[in-house]
Amino acid sequence: MVTVVFLPDDKHATVSKGSTILEAARAAGVTIDSPCNGAVVCGKCAVTLPSHNLDKVVEKGAHRLPAGERSRGQVLACAAEVHGNIAVLVPEGPSLRDFKIASHGEACTVDLSPHIVKEYRPDLGVTRVLGGGALLTEEEGDTAGESFGVVVDIGTTTLVVALVDLTTGTQLAAASSLNPQSRHAQDVLSRIKIGSEERGLEELRSGVIGEINALIDQVAGTAGVRRDRIYEVIFSGNTCMLHLAAGVDPAPLGRYPYTSALTCAAWLPAQATGIDIAHGGLIYLPPIISGYIGADITAGLQAVRLHESTETVLFVDIGTNGEMALCRDGKIWATSTAAGPAFEGMNIRFGMRAGEGAIERCSFQPDGTLEIRTIAGAEAVGICGSGLMDIVAELVAHGLVGKNGKFVKPDAAAIHPKLAERLVERDGKPSFLLTEKVWLTQKDVRQVQLAKGAIRAGVEFLLREASVPVAELQRVLIAGSFGYHLTADSLTTIGLLPAGTSGRIRFVGNTAKSGGEAFLLNAVSRREMSDLVEQVQVVELANCKDFDKVFVEALSF
Amino acid sequence: MGQIDNELFKRLSDAVVDMDEDEAIAAANEVVERGIDAYQAIEKGLSAGMERAGQFFDEEEYFIPELLMCSDAMYAGMDVLKPHLRSDGAAEKHKVVIGVVEGDTHDIGKNLVKIMLETSGFDVTDLGRDIPPARFVETAKEIGANIIALSTLMTTTMDGMGAVVRQLSEEGIRDRFKVIVGGGPISQGFADRIGADGYAVNAADAIRLARALVAPAEAAA
Repeated sequence: MVTVVFLPDDKHATVSKGSTILEAARAAGVTIDSPCNGAVVCGKCAVTLPSHNLDKVVEKGAHRLPAGERSRGQVLACAAEVHGNIAVLVPEGPSLRDFKIASHGEACTVDLSPHIVKEYRPDLGVTRVLGGGALLTEEEGDTAGESFGVVVDIGTTTLVVALVDLTTGTQLAAASSLNPQSRHAQDVLSRIKIGSEERGLEELRSGVIGEINALIDQVAGTAGVRRDRIYEVIFSGNTCMLHLAAGVDPAPLGRYPYTSALTCAAWLPAQATGIDIAHGGLIYLPPIISGYIGADITAGLQAVRLHESTETVLFVDIGTNGEMALCRDGKIWATSTAAGPAFEGMNIRFGMRAGEGAIERCSFQPDGTLEIRTIAGAEAVGICGSGLMDIVAELVAHGLVGKNGKFVKPDAAAIHPKLAERLVERDGKPSFLLTEKVWLTQKDVRQVQLAKGAIRAGVEFLLREASVPVAELQRVLIAGSFGYHLTADSLTTIGLLPAGTSGRIRFVGNTAKSGGEAFLLNAVSRREMSDLVEQVQVVELANCKDFDKVFVEALSF
Repeated sequence: MGQIDNELFKRLSDAVVDMDEDEAIAAANEVVERGIDAYQAIEKGLSAGMERAGQFFDEEEYFIPELLMCSDAMYAGMDVLKPHLRSDGAAEKHKVVIGVVEGDTHDIGKNLVKIMLETSGFDVTDLGRDIPPARFVETAKEIGANIIALSTLMTTTMDGMGAVVRQLSEEGIRDRFKVIVGGGPISQGFADRIGADGYAVNAADAIRLARALVAPAEAAA
């Protein structure tokens, strides 16, 4: 056995020889940011060891830190196996609240007809709280004017909570934070894996529920609303997030045929989930379409009223799983694609979340200079998803990256000499310098190709299934808080969307939240959506014959 | 060997690297017309070209589409040469069983490795995707495989790889097969932990690994 001491917390764990630093940290109750859950692929869990401890760890795995960082005592916590007693300095994790999160989303107005109804009974001197006609609780006196609900968008990365007045339909306050589960694992599959074990499930569940309660506290405080006057909470989010928040084993989602173990279009008692609202309060889980087309998408369809559209419309949620739906003549086709976490900054040399110092916008000027915008205007330390797409799109548009995704040689004709100067080698690999400290590697471009190729292939199959030529696609709606930070040009330049859709793309923002609000305010819309999901044609890409071919074609710029 | 032979082998190899199907076919036809040994033409021409393509892939010159186009050219040339292979000319090929582990249906990576193995002269049995551990073991026994190659994209299904290794051990036949693993969430550390014989980071690397494992003495030399 060996002992690992974690600083600055001064916690320690005694583990068997050969355990990784990350395993020891988890045993000690120390959180090290580990977006890929220790699969040794993302390179984001670096910790620092005193130099005399370095020979007591052996790093295994394909992903390695550059030599310079290693010589400063940095190792990857998930790859470093411990063979002697060591001390580990854990970098301070970012605060859960320091991220740029878009909470606004487009929504059609719905009639005010909530599931929760309060009625004052003067004869009894009490106010009865009814949910769908059934008695939830009774309150002393006339409290009929105080009726509130909450929508929670449980994103894989972020949480957004909105407090809504059920008597007027207005949003009173909203708050957001990072989903605390993302500290343990960034991607959905790793969450499923952790959540498939009882202890892991409880850790993920209590983490997210605790943070949701804190956010509800915050919005209630802001609006001056008592928590026990909140009667219903809508959980909007992907199918896996709903499983974890409800404390249901998500294992079936992680294996073909990827089925949901959770009954959706249904209520849970709030008390049973640990959400702290009125006694007898309810949690509503919106209908889902499939294991990978979840409540975030049904809420999105509701928000933009896709099923009522008279136009031919494509709705795309750009994220780790690119979920999408196509509507024509009231008929809906839907699918999801394994885009992977590149757009979340994983597997990208300088990838990061949308935190301070992340490059979120980038454009190349005619004089060959770069205009770079970072979050909070801070010095650039990394690249977040929207910045990544901008950069790659500009590289393609200015001929620095060819159709095949390869960096051209610096002496290639027709590229601006000032841009050519930025084509350099870093760690022996072709790279493009954004600043002295931040660059994009050839491998990063490949990761973007894989991610956008997956989404584009999904789009192509939806169009094919519905027999819709691109020219007949009248509108493309891009949802997701991530989508809101993008520019339409970048999407068509990198070919995530067909070039023919240019000029027809609209960003609709966080529709998981705005659609959840519609569910909250209008009980009928929930039943409509339940009926609708029965009719949606799910296109299972795994069963599409020439998926390989279409995907490979979609890799090009 | 004549200079013309070598020039033709070079043309075949270049056709593969240049993703030029027509040129591969033309060069292969010339091999046949001149009565040059087809086996040699595949080895020193087409396979050598794929090896160079794999190297370009490794060096990030080529990406998946290029690799696939190279293999298209390779197969085009192969189709011409295959009927002219003398049955005694070729050495016994090493056999590989490949598949995506149970619960996972993502097979693009596996298909790429399969193509690279085939074009490098391995005899590949592709079980497809969502394959239970027992089927890998059964098939490997049945065909007398040298290598069992396991692929997965999903973190949630990677434990199925360990199950294959365990079953081999339980049946007391672990040393009869080399087990190699790869895919998005897989790492060398994982391969070590489950007791696999090797991990490859990409398709080109998988070929090097497979070759080294079937000919350990040569590789060490």
